[in-house]
Amino acid sequence: MSSPGIAEPTEAIARARAGDAQAWGELYHDYAPAIFRFCRRALPTREDAEDATMEIFMKLRGKLSQYDPTRPFSSWLYKVAANHCWDTLRRRKSRQDKETEDTDSIPLEHPDPSQLDRLIEQRSGVEVRKALGTLGKRARMALVMRYYSDMSYDEIADELGVRRAFVGVVLLRARHELRQALEGNAALAAGGNL
Amino acid sequence: MNEFPDVHTEHDGEHLDEMTCLLYVEGQLDRRRGQEVSAHTQDCPQCRTLLRALERESRLLTRAMLEADEPLPSRLVAFQERARKSMQWIWGAALGLAATGAYALYTGYVEPLEQRFEQAGFGGSNLLGLLIFQGAFWKGWQSMVTILEVMAMLMIAGFGMMFLRRRMRRGSAFAMMVAGICAAATLSSPAMASEIRRGDTVKVEKDETIKGDLFTTGHHVKIEGSVDGDVFLFCQNADIEGHITGDVIAFAQVVRISGQVDGNVRSFTNTTLVSGSVAKNMTSFAESITVDTAGKVGGSMTTFVNTLSIDGKLGRDLLIFSKATNISGTVGGSVQAKGETLSIGSGAEVDGPVKFQGKNPPEVSSRAKLASPVEFSRLEHRPEYAESKFYVWRVIWTAAVILFGLVLFLLMPAFTRDTVDSAERYGVSLALGLLVLFSVPVAAFIACITVVGLLIGISAFALWIMLLFCAQLVVGAIVGQWLMGHTREMWQLIGRMVVGVILVRVAEMIPYMGGWIKLGVLLWGMGAISLAVYRRFNPAVNAVAPVAPSNIPPSLPPNTTIGSPQPA
Repeated sequence: MSSPGIAEPTEAIARARAGDAQAWGELYHDYAPAIFRFCRRALPTREDAEDATMEIFMKLRGKLSQYDPTRPFSSWLYKVAANHCWDTLRRRKSRQDKETEDTDSIPLEHPDPSQLDRLIEQRSGVEVRKALGTLGKRARMALVMRYYSDMSYDEIADELGVRRAFVGVVLLRARHELRQALEGNAALAAGGNL
Repeated sequence: MNEFPDVHTEHDGEHLDEMTCLLYVEGQLDRRRGQEVSAHTQDCPQCRTLLRALERESRLLTRAMLEADEPLPSRLVAFQERARKSMQWIWGAALGLAATGAYALYTGYVEPLEQRFEQAGFGGSNLLGLLIFQGAFWKGWQSMVTILEVMAMLMIAGFGMMFLRRRMRRGSAFAMMVAGICAAATLSSPAMASEIRRGDTVKVEKDETIKGDLFTTGHHVKIEGSVDGDVFLFCQNADIEGHITGDVIAFAQVVRISGQVDGNVRSFTNTTLVSGSVAKNMTSFAESITVDTAGKVGGSMTTFVNTLSIDGKLGRDLLIFSKATNISGTVGGSVQAKGETLSIGSGAEVDGPVKFQGKNPPEVSSRAKLASPVEFSRLEHRPEYAESKFYVWRVIWTAAVILFGLVLFLLMPAFTRDTVDSAERYGVSLALGLLVLFSVPVAAFIACITVVGLLIGISAFALWIMLLFCAQLVVGAIVGQWLMGHTREMWQLIGRMVVGVILVRVAEMIPYMGGWIKLGVLLWGMGAISLAVYRRFNPAVNAVAPVAPSNIPPSLPPNTTIGSPQPA
C-alpha cells in the first residue's frame, strides 16, 4: 500500500481521537497532499479535487473513531477517499460513461507485445496524466485505486460495486482505453507539429 | 483462485492472452496457473515481451500518478487551524483597510457631494440611496442603506460564501445565493398592488383612478386621470395631465407635465416640459428642460442638461450642469450652475446666492431681483495629472484595488486561477471582452425597459460594473506573471497581482496612450473573466490534466509495491 512515506501516526491518531486539534492538524499536514493528489487523479478538475479533499477530511474527522488501529492508516484513508470520489463521479452521468458502458462487451484486441513495449517506453508521466483525464470515470477510478493507492482487487471490487473476478477486466479495459488515449495524444502532438 | 471470467482478448491459441498476463503481473493467479505462465514465458519471447510491457505499464502508471506535479493548493493549506489563524490578520487588515478606505472615500468625495445635493433639496437621503435606491424603485431601503452598510453586507456575503464553499457543493451554494438575493429583493418590495399597461397608446382616462403603482410602456402614454402611487414611463411621448400622488420615473423622448405630481420627478428624456406642478423635487438628465411660466416645482431641481429654461417657479435650490441656462422665473433658494452660459432675465427673482462656474461671464439683466450679485468663476480646464491630489487619490485607489483583489483571490482561488489561465488566451479574451463591454449594458437596458426584467437588468448592470473593476486585477496578475514567472501558488499569484496592478495603473497614467491602455485592460480582463465563467459552465473544456513541471523526480518512492508477480 503506497502511503505518503511516513511512519504510522499512531500517537497522533490517538490524540486526534481524543479531540486534540493540533494532532488533527498534524495528520492533515502529513496526509492532505497525498489525498489531494489521489483526488486530482480521480476527479476531472482541480477544483473538484480541492473540494473533495476538504470534504474527505471533514468526513474523516467524524469517522476517526471507526478507524481500526491494527490496519494501516493510509489504507483506511485511501478507502474513504476512494469512496468519496467514486460517489462524486457516480452522481455525474456523462456522455463518455454512456459510451464506456456501450463498449463494455466489445472484445479487446490482443496487443502486439513489441509495439506495446515501445509505446510504454516512449510515454512520460505528464502524458499519462493527461491521457488519464480523458478516460471514463470507472476506468480512471480503477486505475487510480490500483496504481496510486495500491488497493487490493477485493477493495476495488467493493468500491466499484463489481464482482472481484471482474476487477481484472475493468483494469485491462482501462489500460486499453489509456493506450488509445496515449496514441491519440501522440497523433495530435504530431499533427500539431506539422 | 481461478475465479476469473473468460478473457475477452483475441489471441492465436499458442500465446498467453493479455488478461492472463495482467493477472500474473498483478499477482492474482493461483500457484498452478502462475507456474504454467512462468514456464511458458521461459520459452516464448513474445509472451515474455508482453509480460514485461505490462509490468512497465504498471510502473509507468504508478509513477505518473505519484509524481508531485502541483503543490497543495492554498485553499487546502488554509483549511487547517494553523492557517486559519494566519487568515485572521488578513481579515482584520481587510476590514480595517476597508473601513479606512470607506472613510476616506466618504469624507473626500461622497460627503461634499452629499452636502451639495442636500443643499439642492435632497435632504434626508444619502448619495447612494439617492442614485440607486431612492423613490419607488426600492421602497423601504432608504432608511437602511448607507455606504458602510453596503460594505458590511458585502463582507457578510463574502463570509457567507466562504462558509457555503466549505460545506456545500458549488452549484448548491450558488443556487442558495441566487435564491437568497431573489428572496431579499422580493421581500424588500412593498406589498402594494402594481398595474402594468402596454400598447401603442396607453391612456388613463379622466374619470379613472388607479390605486397603486403604474408601469407603462408604449408609443404614447397619456395620463388624464389619477394615479394613487408612482408612475413609471417607458415610452416615446408622455403627457401627464391628471393627478399623480407618488413619483414619476420617466424614460422617454418627450415628457410633458401639465397636471399635478405630488411626489418627485426623475426623468431620462430628450425633452421635459413642465407647465403643471411638481410638489417635490425634480432630477433630470435631458437635452432640453423647460419650466414654463405656468410651471411650478415645489422642491429643488437638479439637472444634467444641454439647455435649461426656468420661466416658472422653483420652490428651493437649483443645481445645474448645463451648456446654456436661462432663468426668467422665480427660484426660492440658491442657484449653483456649471456650464458655458448663464442668462438671468429681467423677470427673474432668486432668493438665495447665485454661483456660476463657466466659460463666459453670466448675462444678468439689471431688472432681475437677486439676493446677492452672481459669484462667477471662470472654468479652466487643467489636466488632472497636473495636480498632486490626483496622485494621492491614485495611490488610495490602487491600494483599494489591491485590497479588493486580495480578498477576491483568497475567496475564489480556483476561479482566480481559471481566469488568469483564460487571460493567456489573448485573442479570445479580447474578442469576448469587446462583446461583453458593449453588449451587457445594452442587454441590461433592454431588460430594464421590459419592466418585468428590471431586477435582471439592474443585476446584470451591477455585475458588469463589477467586471470593469475586476478586469485590472486579472491583467495585473498576468503582467506580474510575465515579470516574475508563472505560478500556481495562491500567495505568489497575489504577489504578482500586486506588482502587475501597480504597473498597469502607472501605465494608465501615460498621457494620450493611457486611455488606450485602460481600454485594452478592460477588454482583456473582462474577456478573461467571461471566458472563465463560460468554461466553468462547460466542464468538458476543463477536464484536462494540468501540465506538470519539468523537474519530476525520476524514480518511484521506495514504498511502492506495484507489479510484482506472486507465483504462489
